[in-house]
Amino acid sequence: MRQGTIINNVRLKDDYYKVDFFAPEICASARPGSFVHVRISGCGDHILRRPFSICNVNESGELTVIYKVVGAGTEALSRLKSGDECDLLGPLGKPFSRPLDDEVPVLLGGGYGSAAMFMLTKESKTPGVALLGARNSKDILLSAEYRAAGFDVRISTDDGSDGLKGRVTDLLPGVLKDYAGRKLHFYACGPMPMLLALAGLLPDLGYPESELSLDHLMCCGVGACFACVVKIKADNADGFRYARTCSEGPVFRADQVYLEK
Amino acid sequence: MADLTTNLGGKLTLKNPVMTASGTFGYGFEYHKFFDISQLGAVVVKGIAPFPSHGNPTPRVAETACGMLNAIGLQGPGVEKFLHGEEYMPFLRRTGATVIVNIWGKSIADYQDVARRLEADKAGIAALEINISCPNVKAGGIAFGTDPVLAKEVVSAVREATSLPLITKLSPNVSNIGEFARAVVDAGSDMISLINTLTGMAIDAETMRFKIANKTGGLSGPAVKPVALRMVYEASHAVDVPVIGMGGICTGEDAVEFLLAGASAVAVGTAIFADPYAPLKVIEGINGYLDRHGFGTVAEIVGKVHN
Repeated sequence: MRQGTIINNVRLKDDYYKVDFFAPEICASARPGSFVHVRISGCGDHILRRPFSICNVNESGELTVIYKVVGAGTEALSRLKSGDECDLLGPLGKPFSRPLDDEVPVLLGGGYGSAAMFMLTKESKTPGVALLGARNSKDILLSAEYRAAGFDVRISTDDGSDGLKGRVTDLLPGVLKDYAGRKLHFYACGPMPMLLALAGLLPDLGYPESELSLDHLMCCGVGACFACVVKIKADNADGFRYARTCSEGPVFRADQVYLEK
Repeated sequence: MADLTTNLGGKLTLKNPVMTASGTFGYGFEYHKFFDISQLGAVVVKGIAPFPSHGNPTPRVAETACGMLNAIGLQGPGVEKFLHGEEYMPFLRRTGATVIVNIWGKSIADYQDVARRLEADKAGIAALEINISCPNVKAGGIAFGTDPVLAKEVVSAVREATSLPLITKLSPNVSNIGEFARAVVDAGSDMISLINTLTGMAIDAETMRFKIANKTGGLSGPAVKPVALRMVYEASHAVDVPVIGMGGICTGEDAVEFLLAGASAVAVGTAIFADPYAPLKVIEGINGYLDRHGFGTVAEIVGKVHN
């Protein structure tokens, strides 16, 4: 089988799908938070690649991506079947750090951002906490898988259809109380407004080293085109520089993110 | 196996006629993990100014039918960091790649300044490409490329500042490309390259917003190839210096079409985003074409299109 061959491509629910690619070389060096840049076959007049966070890898060389159909690329991907081939580049990007043995990893996932952090369950010696937030229960993904990995799963939804009614950040006080005295390390992936809120909040709570996976409309995926930039604090007159999320990120420390005044 | 060596008017000799288009290949470093970049005819690096530059607000790109719009806005490290920062010129020198430095500025003095500093430390730099055609920066860039008098002034000023071979990259956003080709060659440009991107716009109907923060961006990719071919053909008939053709080249066959239209060399750009190996495949494709048609050199097909 050639690298990039689709093994399975199934609908999870609604617009969410799970695809397994055969990609042994990428699996060998994939880390939590790294991504693959996929040239989707059958994409018609859409010429650019699409980046996807790596959700999981296994020893058989199967690489799992969870995606939501949001446009032409993901629509084309959703139509591909077992045996179809895509062209994969990866693993790309600066991944999350490996959880330390004495740390409790606390993952904050917004929507399908929970998929980008799933491999942390394998790298963590200590079962951690997974805080999963979304607009409604349909957009909560991987809660059963995180539970099966021994994680303390807590859920929030904007409409209260699952878990706490509110934002994922509203789950933080409960975690800080229940895990008082333990060393916590925060990881987050989700929509940009959520991540910017966390960049403001987590350093103030005493966790400046929290890790946020930021992304922006990506083009080359390898640091060459400077399309996917976000503002990162810098020692210059403006106080920021544009950093490439594909090659300098996607993972940045919370206290490095430049917040507009 | 044809001889791909490409002599550009006696000023610059390349191992093959395939370069990278400025802005699509970073500073070479980013792609060296995929292949040895010294295999390319030349690496044309992203635009260098005398000063570091933030570039434009985001979003900076939008995909369009068979292409894309970009308004990156020439984000870059500035000439000092480019010359001395480990991942820039020192790295490029170590690879043994043929390096062409694309230069830009906000004033004629800026262009001269960056050219002088590259002249002073020119080890490893094969040529300069003067960017008078970036559609995405307010000062400089296209302001110089859409007025033939200003275009001539910039090129003359850079000509005074350096002995390096000069390529001037022309904007397609003009009505008479031949006039601009002649103006920059008169001013001392040893070669011309074209096309830069075509100014365009994309709008999201649902959100009623521009898809790019800059409102307008430069269109590139296969969508622009017919326009680029026409302009390369016209420019190569207007001047007798070598022309470097680019605009939507994805395959060896695309590149051959530009050579037939009158280009002596070509550059691959947006195709690299879809496939990092695209420039190598274009080299192989040109070689295969020459072999198949019994040509021994690239020069034998330059400008050979006919009715």
